Amino acid sequence: MSAVVSPIREPLITGSKTYHQITEDIVSPTERVPNASWVAGFILSIATLSFGLFCIGYTIWVGIGTWDLNRTIGWGWDITNFVWWIGIGHAGTLISAILLLFRQKWRTGVNRAAEAMTIFAVMCAGLFPLIHMGRIWLAFFIFPYPNTRGPLWVNFNSPLLWDVFAISTYFTVSLLFWYTGLVPDFATVRDRAKGLRKNIYNFLSFGWTGKAKHWQRWESLSLILAGLATPLVLSVHTIVSFDFATSVIPGWHTTIFPPYFVAGAIFSGFAMVLTLMIITRKILKLEDYITVNHIESMNKVILLTGTIVGTAYLTELFIAWYSGYIYEQFAFYNRALGVYWWSYFGMMACNVLSPQIFWIKKYRRSIFITFFMSIFVNIGMWFERFVIIATTLARDYLPSSWSYYVPTWVEIGIYLGTFGLFMTLYLIFVRVAPVVAIAEVKSILKTSGDQYAQENARSNYDKMLNEKPHHEEHAH
Amino acid sequence: MNQFTFEGREKSVLIGGMILGLVCLVLSFFIDGSPHASEIHSRFWTNFLHNAVFFTGIAFVSLFAICAAISAYAGWYAVIKRIWEAYSLFLIVGLVMMTVIVIGVWGHFHHLYHWAGEGVTTVGSETYDAVIAGKSGFLNPTFYTVATIGFLSVFYFLFAVPIRRMSISEDKAGTADYAIHRKIKVYAAAFLPIAAFSSCALIWLWMMSIEPHWYSTMYAWYTTASWFVSALALTLLTIIYLKSRGFLVDVTDEHIHDLGKLLFAFSVFWTYLWFSQFMLIWYANVGEETTYFKTRRDEYPVLFFGNLIMNFGLPFLILMRNDTKRKFGTVGFAAALVLFGHWWDFFYMIKPGVIKELSHAEGAHGALPSVAGFDYPHLLELGIFIGFLSLFFYFVFNQLTKATLRPAGDPYYAESIHHHS
Amino acid sequence: MKEAKEVLYGLYDDETVLLDAVRQANADHLDIEEVYSPFPVHGLDPLLGLSESRLHIAGFVYGALGTLTAFLFMTWVFTRDWPIIFGGKPYFSAPAFIPITFELTVLFASIGMVVSFYTVCGLGPGVTNPTLDDRITDDKFCIAFETNGYSNEEISKLQSFFSKTGASEVSSKVI
Repeated sequence: MSAVVSPIREPLITGSKTYHQITEDIVSPTERVPNASWVAGFILSIATLSFGLFCIGYTIWVGIGTWDLNRTIGWGWDITNFVWWIGIGHAGTLISAILLLFRQKWRTGVNRAAEAMTIFAVMCAGLFPLIHMGRIWLAFFIFPYPNTRGPLWVNFNSPLLWDVFAISTYFTVSLLFWYTGLVPDFATVRDRAKGLRKNIYNFLSFGWTGKAKHWQRWESLSLILAGLATPLVLSVHTIVSFDFATSVIPGWHTTIFPPYFVAGAIFSGFAMVLTLMIITRKILKLEDYITVNHIESMNKVILLTGTIVGTAYLTELFIAWYSGYIYEQFAFYNRALGVYWWSYFGMMACNVLSPQIFWIKKYRRSIFITFFMSIFVNIGMWFERFVIIATTLARDYLPSSWSYYVPTWVEIGIYLGTFGLFMTLYLIFVRVAPVVAIAEVKSILKTSGDQYAQENARSNYDKMLNEKPHHEEHAH
Repeated sequence: MNQFTFEGREKSVLIGGMILGLVCLVLSFFIDGSPHASEIHSRFWTNFLHNAVFFTGIAFVSLFAICAAISAYAGWYAVIKRIWEAYSLFLIVGLVMMTVIVIGVWGHFHHLYHWAGEGVTTVGSETYDAVIAGKSGFLNPTFYTVATIGFLSVFYFLFAVPIRRMSISEDKAGTADYAIHRKIKVYAAAFLPIAAFSSCALIWLWMMSIEPHWYSTMYAWYTTASWFVSALALTLLTIIYLKSRGFLVDVTDEHIHDLGKLLFAFSVFWTYLWFSQFMLIWYANVGEETTYFKTRRDEYPVLFFGNLIMNFGLPFLILMRNDTKRKFGTVGFAAALVLFGHWWDFFYMIKPGVIKELSHAEGAHGALPSVAGFDYPHLLELGIFIGFLSLFFYFVFNQLTKATLRPAGDPYYAESIHHHS
Repeated sequence: MKEAKEVLYGLYDDETVLLDAVRQANADHLDIEEVYSPFPVHGLDPLLGLSESRLHIAGFVYGALGTLTAFLFMTWVFTRDWPIIFGGKPYFSAPAFIPITFELTVLFASIGMVVSFYTVCGLGPGVTNPTLDDRITDDKFCIAFETNGYSNEEISKLQSFFSKTGASEVSSKVI
């Protein structure tokens, strides 16, 4: 059986690869001594992480008073950063899960790194609410367990508790999904290794041998996990949006929040994947696997989600006027023209206007422009959360408690520290694990390799146009 | 058999359905217990609006689906694209039907929209309503007319017709360089953002403004999701029927399975939007907002819970298994149920609102009167549904005769035939 | 205690050759012990007579368990053990229980299925399974026959099967 692929499809693997070359290209970076730029990056990341840890330690030692939060503005950079990181943590599972279900083959080039990124981003995100609680050593109070306080249970009706469940479930499921995908690839690394390295990878590969029955179960498991992860990924940012939308604060309480937060999360997640993949493909020489076609596809998702987010901004703005509710109207007037007007315009410019350049194919396929755009989008999405949180709180119902908020060096330090954590983990990941899903790329070689695609696919394609589909072999 | 033929027997059945619908529609003009029925005939007009919006929306989302599939390089859908194309052309009928509503707004033939009532926005008038007056920049007959006729015309004349024309010319123009497909792609990409913005305005005008004091930012997305599930269900039913007549040989279990998965997924997605909208309003309990759900849950429990059972509970249980998504019997049953369920959903969105506005205009408060044809779909309403459904299929079958059902010139056609799910 | 197993195996260079070889083996009534491949080969399962994986049924059971656990537990806490009114809502506030119920459904189903998967496959941390050839996880597709107690004729029949179906290498191993 040969696969039938439309000759209009662009190849996803270039360089006329063989199966062995794929293994060689993807595994070899883990077998070499790290180069100078990796070492420099690693040192920088560790240094940033250390500063972040110092700031966290300082916060815990001195207290939350080291932050510039006040009675009016109780949520500032901490929750902004939390929502921002969680948003970034959406793309990995989205790429793996939704694109797997929709059978978008280009996901195979980027899903592994994106899932890793998801896990690291969720770790960064989870940090903020934990520190924000103040007495971090009592953090375990958030879990419902029989206790000596009555027993007093947690408030299952609170969106903040829903967050605890959503994020811990999301982290667990993402980790399982990611690792299950890694197991066969670790076996590939193991079978090329010697000595201690072989033992380590043998442990990591769980004894995988590639039996037909195991592959069948593995594929079934991947599909079901994808099916579960798809609503899960929607639920996580939905529940984050419930933190705001269940309240009665104008500007927070609006029903569009759940799908709009999810679209925004996908938007920023894809931007972060692009930022990282553009660097990774260059340094690890993976241009044949993460091609310009992959980048173009991701830019289209950015354009799409950017436009959805834009529709949501305008819907909110319009309905605020339409509601005829003066507090709602003021909240939006304040967003656009109030004390934090600059963050609203930063958000609009970076999230809605700038992605529109991706209507032009040339720019979608430009690596240089994509790289800068991806950073713009992440800045814009940070502003979006800041607008929602700080701007809204700064002007509440009581004019006597109106306030203004600027972060202290400690808050900025913690934020930088999460970048250090994220980059440290990512740099370790690219050293020890195959950055591209080897087995999955091999399985699309015959349909998406450049020696099989486009003009080379045509003869087979034209033949198949008049042939009946055969089913006897595809009873799965 | 690639050329659809519209048999005489089918024509007579569908014309029969249309006559039944017309008779029921006319009867609902007279058999009406709602306030001021003899002047404004709310049962007739709500039935007309309900079905017009429902089927126009299906035509609109079908066009949207074609454009989304083309933009996303979807290959599988090529074998069924003629069905969606035929659906999308129904926009012209939608344009005519909505124009009737527009004429009614100007002539005050109906009172579907309280904001269009006399004196509602005139200061000092007996019926003056300050909240509605504040919205009159959007809720006014002129904008309603311009948006309804303008947007639907743009959808039909600038997108549905050209895309259909290019798609048919692709059948003959060969497959050498797929230049036509590239051109369709430009139209498809342009339609997506235009549709996203304009459809929100249409939904607010057509449906949300029935209760002009109430508002929800989610409303437009929720309604679009409901349309999309209906379009998927209708597609499945059409495929099953056409296959039973021996057409669409290239559509295999694999395509049915994929459409079944989409039906399942989007039913869950609709439920997600339903829950998010309901839960946020229930949780915050702001009076202006809560009234929408409180009225429906407490006074229209049949509508409220029937909606959830038909559009979430049953399809979820039926379509959860893989094999039920592949068998014509089960997937067809689920599709028919969900199609009716979403028609019911539009009933639930439109009808209680009209009764509420009419009663409040009377100055009544508290429990609403229970009015036949508004509390749940009665026999007349079901007959009208059959009538509009027959009209829709008559139109669609007529369009299907105009082009081959096997558009082999589509660059993804062979890929679509050999599609495996 | 595992007995030592004698295995005769052939390596193929391409999955299409492998599929043809499996078809040939079926036609020749040869009893394939195992097929190994570097990635899932589509169309192989029915040829080998592998029944469909039942993991999804297990997943459904775990998920249902999660749903019940979460919903019943929250109901018990708020209606029996410690009823508290939050925000003027009734003790039994089903809409507010749904998010956590959903999360636990997914959590139970995922963990349950992953654990089941590794258990039934005999895989896990610290497990070492014998491998026939290091290149099977790279670019070779392998058909293996168990040859314990096989006569020379039977062995040579397998040898000729491999050469007939285009195996690039044939070896034997005791595992």
